[in-house]
Amino acid sequence: MRDVMTICCYCGCGCGLYLRVVNGRVVGSAPSRNHPVSKNNLCVKGWHAHEHIHSPQRLTSPLVRKDGRLVPASWDEALDRTATALKRIKDRYGPDAIGLLASAKCTNEENYLLQKFARAVIGTNNIDHCARL
Amino acid sequence: MTFGSGAMTNSIAEIEHAQVVLVSGSNTTETHPQIARRIYDAVDNGAKLIVIDPRRTQIARHAHLHLQIRPGTDIPLLNAMMRSILDENLVDDLFIEMRTENYFAMRDKLYQVDISQAATICGVDADSIRLAARMYARAQRSVICYCLGVTQHVCGTDNVRSYANLAMLTGHVEQEFTGVDPLRGQNNVQGACDMGALPAVLPGYMPVADETARTKFQRAWGGKLPEKPGMTVLEMTHPADGKVKAMYIMGENPAVSDPDLSRVRHSLDHLEFLAVADIFLTDTARLADVVFPAVTFAEKTGTITSSERRVQLLHKAIEPVASAWPDDRIIMELSRRLGYPMDYESPAEIMEEICMLTPIYGGMYHDRLDAEWGVQWPCAGREHGSTQFLHKFSFARGRGWFEPAEHQAPVESADADFPYILVTGRVYHHFHTGTMTRRSQLHNREYSQSLIEIHPEDAEKLSVAEGEHVRLTSRRGDCAFIVTITDRVSPGHVFANFHFTEAPVNFLTVKQSDPVAKCPEYKVCAVRIEKVAA
Amino acid sequence: MNRNFILKKDHLQPLLRKLSKTHRLVAPVRNDFGDTLFTEITRLDSAVIDLQNQPQSSLKSFFFPQQETLCSYIVDKKLNKGKMEYSFHARLPENAPTVFFGVRSCDMFAVMYTDMIFLHQHERDIYYEQRRDSSIFISIGCNRPFANCFCNATRSGPFLDGGFDLQLTDLGDRWFVETGRPRGVRLTEEWPGFFTPVSEDDKRKQFQAELEARGLFRKLVHVDLAVKLLAESEPPERIIEELSRRCQDCGGCAYICPTCTCFNISDLALNEDSGERIRSWDACTFSGFTLMAGNHNPVNAASERIRKRFLHKLRHDVEKHGRPSCVGCGRCVEMCFGGVDIVRFIDMLTAAGENGLQGEK
Repeated sequence: MRDVMTICCYCGCGCGLYLRVVNGRVVGSAPSRNHPVSKNNLCVKGWHAHEHIHSPQRLTSPLVRKDGRLVPASWDEALDRTATALKRIKDRYGPDAIGLLASAKCTNEENYLLQKFARAVIGTNNIDHCARL
Repeated sequence: MTFGSGAMTNSIAEIEHAQVVLVSGSNTTETHPQIARRIYDAVDNGAKLIVIDPRRTQIARHAHLHLQIRPGTDIPLLNAMMRSILDENLVDDLFIEMRTENYFAMRDKLYQVDISQAATICGVDADSIRLAARMYARAQRSVICYCLGVTQHVCGTDNVRSYANLAMLTGHVEQEFTGVDPLRGQNNVQGACDMGALPAVLPGYMPVADETARTKFQRAWGGKLPEKPGMTVLEMTHPADGKVKAMYIMGENPAVSDPDLSRVRHSLDHLEFLAVADIFLTDTARLADVVFPAVTFAEKTGTITSSERRVQLLHKAIEPVASAWPDDRIIMELSRRLGYPMDYESPAEIMEEICMLTPIYGGMYHDRLDAEWGVQWPCAGREHGSTQFLHKFSFARGRGWFEPAEHQAPVESADADFPYILVTGRVYHHFHTGTMTRRSQLHNREYSQSLIEIHPEDAEKLSVAEGEHVRLTSRRGDCAFIVTITDRVSPGHVFANFHFTEAPVNFLTVKQSDPVAKCPEYKVCAVRIEKVAA
Repeated sequence: MNRNFILKKDHLQPLLRKLSKTHRLVAPVRNDFGDTLFTEITRLDSAVIDLQNQPQSSLKSFFFPQQETLCSYIVDKKLNKGKMEYSFHARLPENAPTVFFGVRSCDMFAVMYTDMIFLHQHERDIYYEQRRDSSIFISIGCNRPFANCFCNATRSGPFLDGGFDLQLTDLGDRWFVETGRPRGVRLTEEWPGFFTPVSEDDKRKQFQAELEARGLFRKLVHVDLAVKLLAESEPPERIIEELSRRCQDCGGCAYICPTCTCFNISDLALNEDSGERIRSWDACTFSGFTLMAGNHNPVNAASERIRKRFLHKLRHDVEKHGRPSCVGCGRCVEMCFGGVDIVRFIDMLTAAGENGLQGEK
C-alpha cells in the first residue's frame, strides 16, 4: 500500500489527503495530520474522495457522433474531428463564434492552457467557467 | 470590487481566533466543513456567532444570533446594521480616514436608512439588527464569511459591496483574524479565475481591454490577442442571437448546472459543433459531437488554488484509467493540429510560464510547493513567502472604496400563481452536478433522492407527507421532487439542490443575473407546488 | 512465561534488514510532509522510522482495509431457462508475511480486540484471518504518553502483558525485549546474535520505566466510572443533544478508531453480466447505516446515532466482550470537527454523574 499526498477534489477548503493505492487501484482516502486545513480529519466527501475513480461508468475511449449516435473512436479521430470543426467554424464565422468553458474542477495549468488556447490559438475571449454556479 | 480582488482575505486557520464570526448565505457545516470546524473552535474560545440566512441551517443552530431574513434582503439588513453602528458611534474613524474613500457618500446614504422599515423588508426585528451591529462592531477581531447565498442574486455584487462596506466602516479588514472571506464552492474556482479563465481578464486579472496587458502576453504567446471582452457562460448558453456556433467544454456540466435549463439544452443541442472532455458521460457530454475521456484528480499532477489562495500540488497517484488523458494533453494535441504547437513536457513547465506572466503567481514553482503545504498568493517570486492575509497595509486597489447600495427586489416574488419561493443550493453528501458523488456508494446511500425541503405548515397546506412526490412549476419549466418536511426552511420557502440529473432543478430557475459578476439568481425563484403520484 | 533480552539500539536497523528479506516490513514512517503513517518500507535506508510521534492512524486498514473486493460475481442467464443465477468467486488477499514494527500498545491491543469481532469462534472472517495469520508484531511500550492518550484508563497500555510477539521498552541506549506469542520466541531463537541476556539492573530499569510512564498521562479520563454510570442509567438527553448538534456526520471518528469494525457490503456492477462485491468501512453515525428497505430508519435522528455510538462503545461492548471498545489512543479527540469525541462524552457524563444521572432528565 502506498499513500500519495494530494488535494481533495471537492470544495474550496483545499484539504490535503492521502490516496491509498494498492496494485494501481485507489482503495481509500485518509487525512493528513499536519496539513494546515485538514488537520487530521476530512469531511464525508473527503473520506470518500476515491470512490468515483474506478467507477465502471468512467469513459473508456473517445466518442464521436456518427449518424446521430455517440460511438467509440480513436484519439486521433476524435482530435482530428474537433480540430477540423473548430477551424471550419472559425474560418466561416470568425473566432467569436466559438465559446470555451474551462473548469473550476481542473488544475491551474489546465485552465491556463485552455484560456491560452482560446485567446492565442482560436482568437477569442469567449472563455469562462462556472465560478458563479 | 471594493478592496480590489476577489479572494478570502484571511487564512482558514485564522478564523478560530476571531471574536465575532458573521456567517452569511453559507451552509458552512455542509459545504465547507473545515471552516465550520474553525467556527466551532472560535465559539468554544468565547467568540460570538452571527448567522444571516433564510434557512435554519446547522450552523444557524449554533448562532448566538440568527437573522433569518427573507431571501434577497441582505442590502437593507446591512444598511440598517451600518445605520445602527453610526447611531451608536461604533465607527472606526481612523481606519476610514487613512484607508478608505467615498465615506461621506456612504454616510449620507446611511442617514436616510430607517431601521424599522428595513426590519420589515427583511422579516426580522429591529432590535436583532441593532444587536448584530453592536456585536460585530464592538469586537476587535470580526470575520465575515459569505458564500453563494450572498452572490447568487441579481444584486450579488451590491451584496458583496455591502459586506465590504460593513467591514470598512468598523475597520475589520487588513489584519490577522479579521476580514471578509468569500468561501469557494469548488476545489479550483479560485485558480480558474486567477488563471484568466474569465472573458474579461487575462491571467492575474489583467484586463483584456488593457493594451499594456495584452502586449505583455502577446510577447510571450505571439500573434495578436483579441481585445474585446468575451461572453460569459450564461451568454454562451443563453445566446440571444445564436452567435455561438461551436463550444469546447472542459470538465463542466452546464446542461445541469446552469439556470433555465430548457434554454441551455436547446442552445447546446443546436450548436454546429460541441466537444466535451469529462470523466463521465455527463448530460452535457450526451449532447456533444466529440467526447474526450479525461482523468480524475488521482491521475494527474498540477496545482489547484483553494479559497484561502493556497496554491497546492496534486500528486499523481495512479496511471490514467482506461485510455483517459489529462486535459492539458488534450489541449496541446488540439493546439498542434490547429497550427500552434504547445510542447510542454510537464505541468511544471506550464507553471513556469504562469509564474513569468502572472505576478501574483510569480513564485509558484512546483518544486517549492510541497515544502510548506503550498503557497498562498500573492507570491512575487521564489524568494517570496506565502501571504497569510491580504490588504495588510493597503488594499489591492489602493484605498478601499465605499459603494453605497440600494435594496433591489429579486426578479420574482411570490404571487397567486406561483406562491412559493424556491431557494437552490447544495447538500452535504453531494458535489455540484453530482457526476462524481453520485458514483459513490456511500454518498448515494446517505442522500439517495432529490429532496425538497418544505416547512411543516406548508406541508399541511399542500397535504403532503414525508416521502411523497411533488411537482414544482415555475414560469420556465417544471421538475419533480420527493418531500422532506423540516423547519430548516421558513414557511413560504422551499429548498432544493441541483445535484441530481433526474431532478434538474435548473429547469425552474431564473437566468437573470447580476449585471457585474453575472451570477445568476439561484436563490429566489417563484414556484407553485402540486402533489403528484409517485 | 515471557523471556527477556536486550537489543542494542544500533542493532535494530540490522535486525529489521534481516527480517525484511523474508517479510514485508511495516513501520511508522515520517514522510516528506511531516506526517507519520504506518508505511510499507521498500528501502530501509532511506525510510525515516519515527518512534517519537504517534502514527496518525492505527493498523486497522492493514487488516480491515477501507475498501476491498471480497469476490467477483458472474450472472449466468442460461441456467434454468429464464431464471438468473449468480456465481461467486472469492478474491482472497495476498498472503504476504509481514512484520509490523513500532506498534504502540493501544494499537496492538486494538488488534486483539478486533480479533474478537472477526475471529469469533466459528464466525471467522477469512480475509481478516489470512492477514492476521501472516503477521508478526514488534510493539513498543510508551515511556511517555502522547498528548491525548488515556490508555491507562482503558487498560490497554502504556505497556502490555501479552498479544505482541516482541515488546520493546526504551532504556536509553538499548531496547529491553519481552517475548509474547510463540512467534516472538522463535524470532529470538532465529537471530540469537541480536538478542543478548538481560541483567537485573535492566529489569529494574524496565520496571521503573513502566511505573514512570503511568505517572505521565496528561489526561484523566474516568472510563470505568462512565461504564458504571451507563450500566445503571441512561445518559442525560442534554449531553446527547449538545454533542449531536456539533456532529458533522463525517464518519471520521469511526474510521480513525482502531476498534471500530462496522462495514457495508455493496455490489458494483461492472457490466450487465458481472460485478464485484465490495466491503467498505461504515460508521454508525451515518443515517444510512440503519436505513431499511422502504425508507424506514429506526435510528434516524442525529442524537439517536450519537447515543448509539457511545453506548455501543461503553455499554454494549462491555456486556458482550467484557470491556469497553476504546483503547485510549486519543485519536478521535484531535480529529473531530465539533469535539464530539469519547473523552468529551465521558467528561460530560461523569461530571453529570456527580449529581446523579437520574436528576438530569
